[in-house]
Amino acid sequence: MNNPSAATATEVSKIYGHGGSEVRALDNVSVQFEIGKFTAIMGPSGSGKSTLMHCMAGLDEMTKGSVNIGDVDIADLNDKELTRLRRDKIGFVFQSFNLVPTLTADENIRLPLLLGNNKGNEEWIQKVINTVHLQDRLSHRPSELSGGQQQRVAVARALASQPAIIFADEPTGNLDSTTGGEILSFMRKAVDDLGQTIVMVTHDPVSASYADRIVFLKDGKIAGELLQPTPETVLDYMKKLGH
Amino acid sequence: MFRIALKGILGRKARLILTSLAVILGTAFLSGTAVFSATLNQTFDNLFSDVFRNIDGYVRSTQVIEADFGAEERQRLPQELIELVEAVPGVADVQGDIQAFARIVGKDGVPLGAEGAGPPTFGSVGEEFKGALWTVTDGKFPSGPTEVALDEAVAKSGGFVVGDTVKVIAQAGSREFTLAGIASYGDVRSPGGATFALFDLPTAQEFLAKPGFIDSILISGDGSLSDEELAKAVNAVIPSSYKTETLTGAEITKESQDQIGSALSFFSILLSTFSYIALGVGSFVIYNVFSISAAQRQRENALLRAIGASKKQVTRALLIESVIVGLFGSLVGLVAGIGLSKALSALLKAAGIDLPSGGLVVPSSAIANTVVVGLIVTVSSAWLPARRAGRVPPLAAMRETAIEVVALTRRRTALGFVFIGLGAAAITAVTNGASNTWLGLGILFVFSGTITLGPVIARPVALFLGKPAQQFRGVTGTMARQNSARNPKRTARTASPVLIGVALVTAVAALAASIRTQIDDVFTEQFKGDYAINSNARGFGGLSPSLADDINALPGVARATGIGFLTVKIDDRGQNLTTINPATVEGVLDIGLTSGTYADLTPETIFVSQKYVDNNSAKLGDTINVTLADAQVKNLTIAGIYEFDDLAGKYTVSRDLVKDSTVITFDFGVYIAMESGVSDVTARAALQGAVDKYGQGELLSKREYIDLQSGQVNQLLGLIYGLLFLSVIIAVVGIIITLLLSVFERQREIGLLRAVGMTKSQVRTTVRWESVITSLLGAVVGIVLGVGLGWVIVYALRDQGLSSFSVPVGSTVSILIMAFVIGVLAAVYPAWRATRVNLLSAITTA
Repeated sequence: MNNPSAATATEVSKIYGHGGSEVRALDNVSVQFEIGKFTAIMGPSGSGKSTLMHCMAGLDEMTKGSVNIGDVDIADLNDKELTRLRRDKIGFVFQSFNLVPTLTADENIRLPLLLGNNKGNEEWIQKVINTVHLQDRLSHRPSELSGGQQQRVAVARALASQPAIIFADEPTGNLDSTTGGEILSFMRKAVDDLGQTIVMVTHDPVSASYADRIVFLKDGKIAGELLQPTPETVLDYMKKLGH
Repeated sequence: MFRIALKGILGRKARLILTSLAVILGTAFLSGTAVFSATLNQTFDNLFSDVFRNIDGYVRSTQVIEADFGAEERQRLPQELIELVEAVPGVADVQGDIQAFARIVGKDGVPLGAEGAGPPTFGSVGEEFKGALWTVTDGKFPSGPTEVALDEAVAKSGGFVVGDTVKVIAQAGSREFTLAGIASYGDVRSPGGATFALFDLPTAQEFLAKPGFIDSILISGDGSLSDEELAKAVNAVIPSSYKTETLTGAEITKESQDQIGSALSFFSILLSTFSYIALGVGSFVIYNVFSISAAQRQRENALLRAIGASKKQVTRALLIESVIVGLFGSLVGLVAGIGLSKALSALLKAAGIDLPSGGLVVPSSAIANTVVVGLIVTVSSAWLPARRAGRVPPLAAMRETAIEVVALTRRRTALGFVFIGLGAAAITAVTNGASNTWLGLGILFVFSGTITLGPVIARPVALFLGKPAQQFRGVTGTMARQNSARNPKRTARTASPVLIGVALVTAVAALAASIRTQIDDVFTEQFKGDYAINSNARGFGGLSPSLADDINALPGVARATGIGFLTVKIDDRGQNLTTINPATVEGVLDIGLTSGTYADLTPETIFVSQKYVDNNSAKLGDTINVTLADAQVKNLTIAGIYEFDDLAGKYTVSRDLVKDSTVITFDFGVYIAMESGVSDVTARAALQGAVDKYGQGELLSKREYIDLQSGQVNQLLGLIYGLLFLSVIIAVVGIIITLLLSVFERQREIGLLRAVGMTKSQVRTTVRWESVITSLLGAVVGIVLGVGLGWVIVYALRDQGLSSFSVPVGSTVSILIMAFVIGVLAAVYPAWRATRVNLLSAITTA
């Protein structure tokens, strides 16, 4: 493979139920996420945007099609190999409940590395911690951190192992707009300054405008794309799609 | 609210089953032991009705001595009474009966039956008789001095068939017989696992007892008189100088039933005591499960409160749930208990105790008791959690997560310390001379205090115990350590059953270790010889007194002396006297004689312990009236006083005391001092020869003998461990339930961990170590408490001659290893459940 994509979905379908009650959450979706880019996936509720992310991240099984992370076809992997892939090659930021309550911020950041018995690149980790401004919060437990700080820890964790790709699922969904903006700036910086690849699922045009590219989903199908978005162009595009 | 409670239960069947499990186990032991005891009683009742079914009358002496532990020595009857009774009109048939010690030697030369405590080995009379207790199933009844019959069970286990030669050991020594027949007792192959060798009456008298004497007369009537009239007629014929009584068939049946009933009641009480301990342990589990499930439903309850349910209503809903769980659990437990009692019977059968196949008896009292106790325990365990549930603020419904409140109040800490302080004060008071009853109270307070403090100490101790896990298991160990400490109340409640079980086991082990040390010290101090021959007779009987005399005659033997005991009546109370041979005891066994010499001990004198002298203000020259089993009264003069009463007890007499009576004595041990320079090989060869001549007794070196004596404590220990095992099972189930509920509660966390790369085996490791830490927490605190409890018990027994306290190091180490293993095993299923957590539903917000 010589294309510069971090993750590729090829004709992916996800079907729940069968016969008359069959629901196509994803219908023959093919999409590529380039290395070093920040991509947003948008779409209304039930459009399949989260399902696409879950299938590509190896969290959910697809019914048909194939997904490659780098040059690995995840369909070939068993549970253990898939878990290792998520640990070593993929970073995650979820909307809420991102952190293990019994571990300190520092331990949470290094969690994927610790799970892999991997020291990681200390210089890189310090750089990540500095980028998200968590230097003086490292020994705190999640319950002692604000919502924004918790999400920063989550972002730092996603970055810590220098994964091939980071999937973020509504990372600012539970935050006020100022704090959310902060998190999005950090993600932007991770792509621009640290050369990371991020795919973010969101329904918020402002959040999506931080991305380099937006992929729109509707009824389980790709409905369109937008490059170098601004909040205004996103809203226009959404209107055009009939959202 | 009732409907809400009901829906709450039915909506979560898995939780109902988990909650009920603790109730089921606790009540199953309760009903199982009750049903087992009732069945056993009924079985023996039936057995005696069956064996005595053709006996219409029973003649025996009225002269009886009852000693400790239900031992009974009844005077024998002269044989001529048989003819007297036979001639009574209305009597169809009579049989003189004897029940005495006899042990059957297996084909390999080893006496049959397990060594040590076990069912007794009998010799008795087996003759053709209308009311016979025995039925020949193969061959015929024995006749003449060379024939024997065996009970079916022992014949089978010994591999004997009619015509074989069988060696039997009894009062008169060991002898070989020809097996004439095999017989069954009523409908069973052998009664309760006892072995029987049967002879004709003259042989039985000569070989088992004393020629010319019998133990009792069995009468079968011709039907012309009622049993009562028959008994009266027989009584009228026997001169009162014989001091006899005649019982009807019904009376002797009833008496035998009552006798075994009271023997069994000790067993029943023991069983039910431990099943109540198990239930007490179970109540912790029930309390814990209700607490957790109430906490997990905090939002639901808060919602009910928000939409207008009162505190009382919320509390009541949970109490109703507990009533339903209690009823359901107790009923299932009742049924499970019936199965358990069957398993117990099967276990006894496997252990060689063959019980007649009576039907299962489920007394209505057991049913009522199980259900009522189960219900009370469940509802009272649910009381606090239910009250707490009612106090949930309606606002909690709006909160993101429902986490059990873990605030540790200062009141709890204070209360815990007050309890422990009171307990310590009570125990200190006893060491300063207060009555022993305060010890029990002290122990109770210390236990309550520790349980109260549980949540306070759980966190630091769990974090400490978890250190190695963190060290060796990296981040999974860290999480396990933190998980075990994150909710100290829950951890403490989960560890409490382990704590109680371990504390009891440790206390018993400490007691046993102390007793062993004591026995060891006593024998080392008082037994001065080189070898001992230990009687391996069980129930009654022992070594023939002439064995010691034979050994004394052997070359190389400096001195050998036999020690036995004799049951007599002093001041109308049964007492055991130690019998020694004054001529040979010196230098072999030291009883610490402080006044008198062994030469002073004659058939007219008695030695007493210093303690006896102190307690009775007795002095040398006082007389003690001793009534022998044959009703002879001896006026014995105190001729010596000794210090060491650990082996000799209160009274010591010469073995010649019974020379002119019908009473038989046995030695329970022969102690031997060799001349210096005799090698072990030579000594053993010579002594073994003497032992072999009698076919009974086990030759041991001094060390072996002492180990054997102190090892007997282990049997008791084994039994108690077995019974405490019930509590351990419940403790394990408690850990399993708590872990399952915790895993359920932490679904999202586990899902998150799985998403960011935790493998299934790492998930299992985390759960496993949390379980191990919890189990070890209970074990460590339990050991500390148990050692203290053991010390207190040993201290309480100081008047019984227990003077040294030993810490059971070996047992403690095994308990810690066991606790580790229990932790690992308890985690198997919850860990597996944790790996089954649905990744997606755990991380996607609803």
